[in-house]
Amino acid sequence: MPKLIIDDITVEVAEGVTVLEAAQSVDIPIPHFCWHPALGKAGACRVCAVKLLDGPIKGIQMSCMLPAQDGMVVSTVDPEAVAMRQQVIEWLMINHPHDCPVCDEGGQCQLQDYTIACGHGLRRYDGKKRTHLNQDLGPNIEHEMNRCIQCYRCARFYQEFAGGTDFGVMGSASRVYFGRFEDGELQSPFSGNLVDICPTGVFTDKTARFRARYWDFDMAPSICPECSLGCNTTPVARYRELLKISARHNDAVNGWFICDRGRFADKKVNSFDRPRVPLVNGSSSGWGDAVDAVAKKAAEFAPGSIAVVASSRLANEGAALLPDLARALSGAKLCFFSNEVICRASITAASQITPHMAASLDDVASADCIVIYECDLRQEAPMMLLAVRQAWRKGAPVFLVGKGAPLEQAAAVSVEAVDLDIIVEAPIGIFDRPVIIFSTMRSSAAEIKNLMAAEAKFAPLFDGPNGMGMAKLAAANSTISLESAVKSGLIKGIITIECVIADELRGEIPIIAALDWQMNSSVKNAGVFLPTTAWVEMNGTFVNNEGRAQQFKKVMAPGIPVSATLESGHPPRIHSLDVPGGEPKPAWEVITEIMKRL
Amino acid sequence: MEQILFRHNRPGRVVTFEEYRSEGGFSALKKGLTTMSPDGVQQTVIDSGMRGRGGAGFPTGKKWSFVPRNLPGPRWLICNCDEMEPGTYKDRILLESNPYSLVEGIILACYAIGVRHAFIFIRRGYEQAAANLKNAVAEAHGAGFLGENIFGSGFSCDVDIHLSAGRYICGEETALMNSLEGRRANPRAKPPFPAIKGLWGGPTVVNNVESLANVPYIIAHGAEWFKGTAATAEASGMKLFCVSGHVANPGCFELPLGTRLGEIIYGPCGGMRHGSSFKACLPGGASTPYLTAEQLDVAMDFDPVAKEGSRLGTGGIVVFDQHTCMVGATLNLVRFYARESCGWCTPCREGLPYVVHLLEKIEAGQGREEHIQILKEHVQRLNYAFCALAPGAMGPVDGLLRHFEDEVREHITKSRCPFGGS
Amino acid sequence: MIPDTLKTKLKRRVAAAITNREAAIDVMKSLQAHYGWLTDEAVQEAAEIVGLSTLQIEELATFYEMIYRRPVGRRVIHACDSISCWAMGGEALLAHLSGHLEIKVGETTADGAFTLLPCCCLGNCGEAPTMMIGDTIYGRVTLESALEILKRERGEI
Ligand SMILES: Cc1cc2nc3c(=O)[nH]c(=O)nc-3n(C[C@H](O)[C@H](O)[C@H](O)COP(=O)(O)O)c2cc1C
Ligand code: SF4
Ligand code: SF4
Ligand code: SF4
Ligand code: FES
Repeated sequence: MPKLIIDDITVEVAEGVTVLEAAQSVDIPIPHFCWHPALGKAGACRVCAVKLLDGPIKGIQMSCMLPAQDGMVVSTVDPEAVAMRQQVIEWLMINHPHDCPVCDEGGQCQLQDYTIACGHGLRRYDGKKRTHLNQDLGPNIEHEMNRCIQCYRCARFYQEFAGGTDFGVMGSASRVYFGRFEDGELQSPFSGNLVDICPTGVFTDKTARFRARYWDFDMAPSICPECSLGCNTTPVARYRELLKISARHNDAVNGWFICDRGRFADKKVNSFDRPRVPLVNGSSSGWGDAVDAVAKKAAEFAPGSIAVVASSRLANEGAALLPDLARALSGAKLCFFSNEVICRASITAASQITPHMAASLDDVASADCIVIYECDLRQEAPMMLLAVRQAWRKGAPVFLVGKGAPLEQAAAVSVEAVDLDIIVEAPIGIFDRPVIIFSTMRSSAAEIKNLMAAEAKFAPLFDGPNGMGMAKLAAANSTISLESAVKSGLIKGIITIECVIADELRGEIPIIAALDWQMNSSVKNAGVFLPTTAWVEMNGTFVNNEGRAQQFKKVMAPGIPVSATLESGHPPRIHSLDVPGGEPKPAWEVITEIMKRL
Repeated sequence: MEQILFRHNRPGRVVTFEEYRSEGGFSALKKGLTTMSPDGVQQTVIDSGMRGRGGAGFPTGKKWSFVPRNLPGPRWLICNCDEMEPGTYKDRILLESNPYSLVEGIILACYAIGVRHAFIFIRRGYEQAAANLKNAVAEAHGAGFLGENIFGSGFSCDVDIHLSAGRYICGEETALMNSLEGRRANPRAKPPFPAIKGLWGGPTVVNNVESLANVPYIIAHGAEWFKGTAATAEASGMKLFCVSGHVANPGCFELPLGTRLGEIIYGPCGGMRHGSSFKACLPGGASTPYLTAEQLDVAMDFDPVAKEGSRLGTGGIVVFDQHTCMVGATLNLVRFYARESCGWCTPCREGLPYVVHLLEKIEAGQGREEHIQILKEHVQRLNYAFCALAPGAMGPVDGLLRHFEDEVREHITKSRCPFGGS
Repeated sequence: MIPDTLKTKLKRRVAAAITNREAAIDVMKSLQAHYGWLTDEAVQEAAEIVGLSTLQIEELATFYEMIYRRPVGRRVIHACDSISCWAMGGEALLAHLSGHLEIKVGETTADGAFTLLPCCCLGNCGEAPTMMIGDTIYGRVTLESALEILKRERGEI
């Protein structure tokens, strides 16, 4: 454990930790562009210069390249080090367009921050600036190459970390260019991370271009609702509109990145057509009347003839109340899953897995053998694919088992995988840290039981962000699938909680009430509709695929976006003291309201 | 004077395989492989004290000894024939007259280090040298000097020739490895050093053409003999000095290491060309600070030249006469480096064009006093670049500011180039 | 499109390489020799032969000096502009060539015969000033001999 002194503070760090990280560990920030915690060192930008005053190495050194050693005496404030860092900024600023006023990065720009921090304020260079042409990189990402400071983060992330092949660095000397062979949409399922990882405004989120300034953002820590992995995100909103989503760092889960699905998914929250007011028989109504109507309608059903159906979109706070709701509805059948096979598979996976057996994304990334069993991670858990690539880069073999595990998923991250027909062909036993990835949507309970007998860690995938939470609750509360409830012939009415039911399954059974924030067939067919808040409009908890309960915070209040326009091209004219469209309440609150009436 | 590398030279053509053999060629290979252990070969090269001829002057045998003995997996030897440093053309002259010493030296080096597969990395434009080497490798194969079980020693070796697509930075050893692997020739971080982790992650030794070509003679005649061929007690061996610029008789000469600069210029080079007098020179290629007329007595060996504030470098001596504008010369040199920067790190990629810009202004009579200060800052700070290209690029600027600051200032005060340059 | 024989030959080169990438430069050079320059089509073909993406080929093609990603004349004149040639009148030679060919440095003559490019040290410093046309190196080029050489390269003498 090397012990060194940085700016008079004694620091002890693990072997191999760099001076830059050692300084960070005691809150001494050292400017850095090319170094990134996930990508490691590159030594390209040279802005992390410090001076070593004493010890085994002396003089100006790049702190990102230098492993901490016993006896080092490091100064970050030595005039020579300060001058070097200032010089690096001057070099980088020689060609920079200084277009902060029209740059979406402004306010969250590392180049701005370090230009101020390093004290470069006067332009001495009076030559011409170099300029580049930009490329059209598709609908999601804006390209403005003139802002580039050539830190190589983007190319290193895209090709090395994410295994993309259609984006990189071209040219040489002072004309290096980061882009594609020709204009076109970026192909990597992780391309959106360029927006986060670029320390300047070269890549910005095109979907939210020119919409808000960093200091005006409404934002809060959140969790991605697009799959069951629970990647940590920071959604950004402004004037009641969800503008964009960026990755939030969490080493155990998603690291520094998220997938493009999570980042660029349709922003349904903003939809003007989103049902936002309570409806009774299709007509808008006050909250009180609407909840009364639910209680009244429910009372018309015989005990045990109602099914309360939820999906894994529902946050745990609401889900946890459902057993009480079912009891209050005089013994309603409680269904956390619609499909019988998925229900049994999910419950099996959730009840067999122990915290010790569950593989986090970080466990996957550091596994020494990966088995992807009968699933396609591109569809079911994209970030899992990125974790698999990290394991593969460190030498872990990747086995794809079964027809449900197509080779194309490995190709999407440039991983060379071995295709197997059956699981017994995978030599799991010879590895120390194998991980088996499977999906409760593709494998039966029996298969899962069989799989989980192996000596390995497991990464089950569920059908939604709270899949594991629902499965755990389902197991603890002797629930059944809607499918088997309907088959029993006893169900005469259904209440859906953030859940869409296939028409074939429901048949003629009426939907008494639907709670939701999206427009769908359940909402359309419901006797009573009660609007709930979306995840960005509330606090709540999702339990991710490994059983990790993660909170998400309210980013914005519900309401029709100020920017919303009608077909006529006008904004809607709503005259009221309340926020227009501000009626939705968190599902747990609505459920509580209903229970009070029963 | 005795010649080592040039001893087999035939005027106007390349020596033939038969001629080379009849003059003792490949006998060192036989001696090494049949009578010496790999360690013995290595030790002899260490004892010879030969320092690398590629520019950095690192002792060749010592470099070999850094390769871990018992690591599994392939290890590699790369012969660096990128030779793109302006003013340097010794490797080409050598290979156009005799490719066999290099081939023999490579096989001996492979034997010493335990390498099965060597590469020769040749720059673009050296088509003749490459053709000679291809023949030489084929002939060596034919004679059983390459391939399986050479001389029944159990040692096997192959040599591949890689033709570069051109870029000065490919000569930097780690950039070279990237280039060989089919990547952009950005240098790699050190540590890990190539001897531990190089080509395709395996232990790798990179040596210059001239360094390797000397090996057979060290093995044939012994370390002490080799040392003794130098001009001073401190130096070891002979050196190819390739002279260009304003001398009467430019050319590549093999002279004892430690020969005085003046002896080279006024000896084999025939002095300055008509009407010229010596003003300054680059002693060892484009990245070495100038030496001036006061320094003509320096012994052309690594340490003495370093003591004079410059470097022996490649031994490429570029001589300038009294009509040369040193600002103009330096501008030309830095332009070269700015263009050849690989673009990886900020000081080089952005700093060199900045220096070019300042020198252009000064040369055009638009310089200001503070530009001298900015140039001095750059000489200092380009040392903190990622690889040795940028500090090398500042060599001439450093020399300019140390020896010719008055000339620079004259450009500024007169608002024009005193030599009539643009 | 390249002939199948060349394609087969290059695929064999790739198969013999230690890694696919190792053969990339050779493949690009062969394609350039075929087309005269590395056309967009050639980049596609190189990518297919080497097993890289077009972008990955482009990353290499745009890095190395002797891979041309723009059309060039039948002969490319590389006139050395490095220090030894500079000292011996290289700048004047380049200007002379440019004037004689009636093109700027970097351009191609109207008849497509020559492209004029400055280049780094050609390793012929003792014979400065130097230029390379195709694979032939010419040393101690004077303003007069330059015109002779151009004539010869044009096939006029
Ligand atoms: C920018 C740069 C260019 C270089 N070019 C060459 C070269 O063309 N030939 C060469 O032998 N060494 C060159 N070197 C030095 C090599 O990195 C390496 O030190 C050398 O090949 C080792 O050989 P030696 O030990 O036999 O001298 C260059 C170094 C740098 C930094
Ligand atoms: S990248 Fe940063 S410094 Fe550059 S214009 Fe944008 S906000 Fe300003
Ligand atoms: S585009 Fe951004 S991430 Fe990529 S090199 Fe430029 S500044 Fe760095
Ligand atoms: S100093 Fe930096 S930019 Fe220049 S060649 Fe070396 S690594 Fe490349
Ligand atoms: S952060 Fe250290 S060189 Fe860029």
